[in-house]
Amino acid sequence: MQIGPILVALRRHKAGTTLIALQIALTLAIVCNALFIIQQRLVRVDRPSGVQETNLFVIQNDWPQKLSPQDADARMRADLQALRGLSSVQDASSSNSFPLRGSGWDNFVRMTPEQVKMTTDTAIFFSDEHTLATLGTRLIAGRNFRSEEVGSQGGTDPMHARQIIVSKGLAQLLFPHDSALGKTVYVSGDNAPSTIIGVTDTLQAHMTGLWAQAYAYNALLVPARLTGDSTFYLVRARPGQLADAMRQAKAALYAQTRMRMIPPHDGVMTFAQVRERAYDADYGMAILMGIICAVLLVITAAGIVGLTSFWVGQRRRQIGVRRALGARQRDILGYFLTENLLITLGGVLLGIVLALSMNLWLVLRLGVQPLSLTYLAAGVVLLLLLGQGAVLAPAMKASRVPPVEATRSV
Amino acid sequence: MLKMTHLSKVYRTEVVETYALRDFNIDVKEGEFVAVTGPSGSGKTTFLTIAGLLETFTGGHYHLDGIEVSQLNDNARSKIRNEKIGFIFQAFNLIPDLNVYDNVEVPLRYRGMKAAERKQRIMDALERVGLASRAKHYPAELSGGQQQRVAIARALAGSPRLLLADEPTGNLDTQMARGVMELLEEIHREGATIVMVTHDPELAARAQRNVHIIDGQVVDLSEEPRFHAHNARVADA
Ligand SMILES: Nc1ncnc2c1ncn2[C@@H]1O[C@H](COP(=O)(O)OP(=O)(O)O)[C@@H](O)[C@H]1O
Ligand SMILES: [Mg+2]
Repeated sequence: MQIGPILVALRRHKAGTTLIALQIALTLAIVCNALFIIQQRLVRVDRPSGVQETNLFVIQNDWPQKLSPQDADARMRADLQALRGLSSVQDASSSNSFPLRGSGWDNFVRMTPEQVKMTTDTAIFFSDEHTLATLGTRLIAGRNFRSEEVGSQGGTDPMHARQIIVSKGLAQLLFPHDSALGKTVYVSGDNAPSTIIGVTDTLQAHMTGLWAQAYAYNALLVPARLTGDSTFYLVRARPGQLADAMRQAKAALYAQTRMRMIPPHDGVMTFAQVRERAYDADYGMAILMGIICAVLLVITAAGIVGLTSFWVGQRRRQIGVRRALGARQRDILGYFLTENLLITLGGVLLGIVLALSMNLWLVLRLGVQPLSLTYLAAGVVLLLLLGQGAVLAPAMKASRVPPVEATRSV
Repeated sequence: MLKMTHLSKVYRTEVVETYALRDFNIDVKEGEFVAVTGPSGSGKTTFLTIAGLLETFTGGHYHLDGIEVSQLNDNARSKIRNEKIGFIFQAFNLIPDLNVYDNVEVPLRYRGMKAAERKQRIMDALERVGLASRAKHYPAELSGGQQQRVAIARALAGSPRLLLADEPTGNLDTQMARGVMELLEEIHREGATIVMVTHDPELAARAQRNVHIIDGQVVDLSEEPRFHAHNARVADA
């Protein structure tokens, strides 16, 4: 109704107006990018691992003294036999790492020995014929390792793997149009071909970082026990016996030999704990960004409240004059709400440009996904509401300035 | 047009009660030009703010154009201010952020008038006060006399029947004051009722009737109203 004169009047208060509009623009840019990143993180956190996580636990086992590869392998086999013999345990296997572990081996995959650049990157899980059953991961094509195929590999030796099993994700990446079964790829340190003998259902890699987003479902199983300073035992408890199995497993290992170290706090972890730990940073980031958003919104709202209150104080006489000339309380209220809407709209328009630029930068630099326009729209609505909400109290105060204010001597 | 009977206005603070008006009686007829004089602090401004519905009163009765105004709510009072009353303040009270044109437009917008009619009225009003060429100027770019003429244009644009002026020439030099006074007389001749507070005896003498306020009371209705011919016609109508 009175947009024209409000705009004209605002032109004469450029500094304050610009400041608030900029603040709104910046807040919009940061908040919608941050909310989008939070959402992306939470989506990541919710991804399936491909592992049947209930009843699964992990033991970290360190050998305190240097063992020969033969000794280490012998001890590992004895340990595995002891674990599998427990009444509460359904199956067990050893590995260098496991899905969601965070750290582990990842190798480049090439299609030919001459190829210099990788086709993709994949997690390497040293496995045996019990690994898939222990993880609870199905084969969707081919076959499992046979016990006689499972060898032993020193921790510092170049990897050699003639038969391999790959995850569905890796298979589809390498052979998008074709079955991966029977195909050869190059992953080994010895530059010899590895033949794919099996393909598992979905199986997540150990790496959970944003950098590995594209490789998150690339897992490659190598039939060997990795002998090194330490190993992980993956143990599947019988249904409902997780706690018992965790206690018995630890005892059984120490009964084999006390010459080992199972870290007291996190040496034995349920897979639920593994998952929690894997996404700790994501939750932390989500919370941090959430806090930043909240703080920014509060600061922006406070800025609007502050500036409008100041303007109301400054314009008391003007408000009184308007009232004297026939403005109703709701006209004064409307004036300040409209004024704020105009400033916020200006800020929001600039903010949209800023948000998209900021997102572009994040996409190019950090591999964040392109901002969903839904988030941008939500951010715009959020800031318009925030502006109107913040201006409400000072605007109400303005509407209560009595008309007689016009006659107060200066 | 404007009739107050036994009206009182008390300002209460924590420590004192000030009777700004007490047993205040006045009757201004349609078409009259009344000058209100009195010492500083006697209640002249208070009388005008109550007359103009800028403020409520404590006791007594006030009929404006036949309506008992104490019954009206804030919206109704705003509407009357907007449609029937024009204000001219000592301090001009133009809105500094708006140019002359936009200032005159303010009351018309609150009346919800169409843009074309607003424009017509604004230009007419500015023409009358001789400032049509200054429509794009801001108040700060005008002299005091010019600002007061803009304020008069703003009061006129809505064609009010009652014009209330609180020392309209108080901040002006003699020559400017005379210009403003002539303008008011002209407006009066066209039929508006005018109540003007002034300190200037010369200006007061030019009004039809003088009302003297001392200590919140009308003490001296100096003369019976001298009706001009055309005012008599208005009164008859
Ligand atoms: N808002 C107010 N609060 C308290 N006292 C007031 C207020 N406005 C006016 N008064 C008092 O009422 C009396 C009349 O004031 P006013 O009408 O402004 O006088 P005048 O215009 O004749 O100089 C004065 O004593 C003044 O101090
Ligand atoms: Mg006064």
